[in-house]
Amino acid sequence: MTTPEDTDAFIASLAARPTPEPLDLPRAAGWIGGAFAVGLGAVLGALGIRPDLGAALQDPVTLAKNALPLLLACLALPIAFLTTRPERDGPVWPLIVPVALAAGLFLLQAVNTAPTNFLPELMGQTAGACLISITAISALPLVVGIRTLRQGATTRPIRSGALLGLAIGALAAAGYALHCDEDAPLFYVTWYGIGILISTGIGALAGHKYLRW
Amino acid sequence: MSQPDELAELLRRANAGDGPAFAQFLRRITPAIRTVIRAKGSSLPEHQHEDILQEVLLAIHLKRGSWKEGTPVKPWVYAITRYKVVDAFRRRGAIIHVPIEPFSETLEDLSAAVPLAGKDAEYMLSHLDGRGAALVRSMTLEGESAEDAGEKVGLSASSARVALHRALKQLARIAERTKN
Repeated sequence: MTTPEDTDAFIASLAARPTPEPLDLPRAAGWIGGAFAVGLGAVLGALGIRPDLGAALQDPVTLAKNALPLLLACLALPIAFLTTRPERDGPVWPLIVPVALAAGLFLLQAVNTAPTNFLPELMGQTAGACLISITAISALPLVVGIRTLRQGATTRPIRSGALLGLAIGALAAAGYALHCDEDAPLFYVTWYGIGILISTGIGALAGHKYLRW
Repeated sequence: MSQPDELAELLRRANAGDGPAFAQFLRRITPAIRTVIRAKGSSLPEHQHEDILQEVLLAIHLKRGSWKEGTPVKPWVYAITRYKVVDAFRRRGAIIHVPIEPFSETLEDLSAAVPLAGKDAEYMLSHLDGRGAALVRSMTLEGESAEDAGEKVGLSASSARVALHRALKQLARIAERTKN
């Protein structure tokens, strides 16, 4: 039976141990960024960048295909990092901004599209490649990200993992947009959104499994 | 200096490598953690509270790098405590522990005692039909084989297993009811 005297001795032994290495968030961001560059390089190396990239980005609706996921990633990653502090939840309301903008683009095209064209525009030509690519680009940074967050102390592992997956999935979508030449919001909001949600789900599962302590 | 500031100062020094400051920090927060455990701990016997306290203290040591200097210490300690206490209770939840030390003098003849928590088990068995109760008693409590136990109540071994399974499920329902 453990007694308060044992606990006192236990405290003394804890105090004699070396200070554990704290989680270095800027370095963690660097590792995740590096892993993302490797994943993106591999996928773009295989698929190539769209030849008309410069001209395409002149159109704000096409630019949004890169910019909105990038904004989402830049908002979600710091929130994921914030949750590595046990007393912090990480407020998710800022994520509404890019999500609302994407939904707006989707609706704007939806109301301006003839009903017969709606489904073809939505399905596009490359939905499968889109989902596979976004998931493939996300894989390595997700592994690296979960590994680094293990050093943190989240008290909500699923939420932390999901936020990390969301940030990395959004980053992957922004990167994949350099290749993808389907510029209709009906297409990209739908399929990039699903791709990001897949990464979010994988992150949540990984968080549940690996971020508990 | 007010108390939270002192705690912050101790933890800051501890994270900079000052062992005695960390010991002092842990001793200062221990009473509060004990209070949390006791408040949550009505479902667990008190002799385990000290083990849970040590789990919390170990977690605070391992995760002490997650405290950010300049932020309040108490919410940080409390968040870790709550997380680890909930975790500790969840892991122990299903098991009923009874400390044996106080009874070591009187527990000479273990074989004579009714296995399981005597009264409760008998009470619950009384709610089963006769055959189910007999199967639970002989197979689960006395460890007889399905063949032997089944023979006594006129069932084949496989039917006895099925009947035992049903009886155990019914017991679980009764246990659920009597708990509430």
